[in-house]
Amino acid sequence: MVDVSGAALLTAPSPADEPEVSTERQVWRRIALGAELWVPAGVVVFLLLACFVWPAVHHVPDPTKGSLSDVNLGLFSPHHLLGTDPLGNDVLSRLLYGGRVSLEVGFGSTVVGLTVGGGLGLVAGFRGGWVESVVMRVLDVFLAFPSLVLTIAITTYLGPSELHVIYAISFFSIPAFARLARSATQATRSQTYVTAARLSGAKDTSIMLGHIAPNILPQMITFSLLHVAIAITVEASLSFLGLGVPPPGASWGNMIELGQQNIYGRPALILVPSLLLFVTVMALNLLGDAVRRRWVAR
Amino acid sequence: MRTVKRILGARVTRVVAARLGQSVFVAVGVTFLTFSLLNMLPGSTAAVLLGEGATDADIHNLELKLHLDEPFMVRYGDWLAHAVVGNFGNSLSGNQPLSSILGQRIPITLELIVLAFALSLAFTIPVAMLAAHKPGRLIDKLSMSTSMIGLSVPAFVLALLLILLFSVHWKVLPAVGYTPFSQDPLQNLRGMVLPSATLAFPLFCHYTRILRADLVDQMATGEFILAARAKGLAPFRILLKHALRNSSFGLVTLVGLNVGTMIGGTVLVEQIFAIPGIGQELLLSISNRDLVVVEAIVVMLAVAVVAVNLVTDLLYTIIDPRVRTVQSNG
Repeated sequence: MVDVSGAALLTAPSPADEPEVSTERQVWRRIALGAELWVPAGVVVFLLLACFVWPAVHHVPDPTKGSLSDVNLGLFSPHHLLGTDPLGNDVLSRLLYGGRVSLEVGFGSTVVGLTVGGGLGLVAGFRGGWVESVVMRVLDVFLAFPSLVLTIAITTYLGPSELHVIYAISFFSIPAFARLARSATQATRSQTYVTAARLSGAKDTSIMLGHIAPNILPQMITFSLLHVAIAITVEASLSFLGLGVPPPGASWGNMIELGQQNIYGRPALILVPSLLLFVTVMALNLLGDAVRRRWVAR
Repeated sequence: MRTVKRILGARVTRVVAARLGQSVFVAVGVTFLTFSLLNMLPGSTAAVLLGEGATDADIHNLELKLHLDEPFMVRYGDWLAHAVVGNFGNSLSGNQPLSSILGQRIPITLELIVLAFALSLAFTIPVAMLAAHKPGRLIDKLSMSTSMIGLSVPAFVLALLLILLFSVHWKVLPAVGYTPFSQDPLQNLRGMVLPSATLAFPLFCHYTRILRADLVDQMATGEFILAARAKGLAPFRILLKHALRNSSFGLVTLVGLNVGTMIGGTVLVEQIFAIPGIGQELLLSISNRDLVVVEAIVVMLAVAVVAVNLVTDLLYTIIDPRVRTVQSNG
């Protein structure tokens, strides 16, 4: 079989390759296009390494067992690079451990949404007919929900914890993934390679997984990256309200909440975790944007 | 019905009817989902209400009184029948009729939402037009990077930054607190500036990106733009009179779609700025486990979202003649 799935998309000419542009400008354009992808990707990889690997290979103060004699140290204090909070905990260490929570929630809920929602949308879009109608109407109901509100309700009743936040966010991410997968599938369903596969006797499942799924993948990945950013924001918001990761556990959201209590005295306690949250979300948004520009066929 | 048919034509009537049916289905589905989700969550409502020290008999009695012992479908049917006529019952904790609680709080949230939309559109339209007037130039690049940055700032972080700047550093606007409009309109608006700006900024970023892209696209490809150019109209005038007018349909739909997100946002914003709106009541009832209030508010919000989406959709069908000729495939 001719490989029409992923490779063709990867080498598809990007819209930037206009013939009339001079070679020198073309080179600069390629570098710029590269940077657009690799800079945010680098930031995300750096964050993953810093949060998950660094505390394992290098001594980092415990994020919750601060000493009360080291309360409220400023930035660049000895042994505490970013100072300590009013409870005496090391801010840098809390940032790293809080980052673990953010990234776990972000990527965890996205994987659930992508597989369950993507799967549903793929089947609905491919089958059409009543299957599609039923799935889409049920999803309409979910989409009409003020999901942040119900996420709050779920985490309150189940009790605040990281895992419950992942459950709640995953649950409400399914409809958006399903809608996207369904419309992307509809667009590919009538392509000639699908007809060819069908004529050659391929089963429905193998057409869906082998031909359609790889083709809608770039679009799904773009949305997934945006969704990781959204989920990280939601987790931070919940923890900020005291409904996500309960203190003393570290999360960027509850760090910012502690900062709000000290807003007049130590704005740095708000600004430092906020900046990190912002950089993470921004990197994911830019990465999603870059993936779309590069690989999503129009 | 017949007059409607005459004005809009049979096909539109069919589209409208189908869309209405769909909305009713979604609205009923939302009530069912809310009810079952909230009932599935662990923790006995009666036990929480009575607090510690309640005996099993007390709990059982209260459950009987609140009909919590009846089968799920019976309770749902009962609740739905009352809710349809606007009777959501009394709040469990305060024993106040819900309609009076909501009546006090809804106008406050509504004011916040209306101000936020007005603020975002007031900035979006001129900025997007300036950006689209000369794509690729400084203003365009500046507004596009601002909006990319703005879309990455979580709402509660933005709220705290605004408080830090305007209340803590410059001391020009109040950080928290709410003054009723009837008491002191000016003070009321002063208190609403930061909360509505918090809600408006991400919308502004989102709308500016979309409106700018749409305007640029139209200016480059629209045939009616070419006609206007051939007539000798000035470019900015074409942008204002022809392109913007055409893009405004899309913008209206977008505003409609955002109402739902906006309602979620108000929960956070009202909490931070201590505004006694519907979002604050919701958080309060969630932590009090006042199921009756939570159900009523969630359902009300969801139905509001469905209704707004329906109205924008229908408006779109009626205003824009091109939509009428395309069969809806929802």
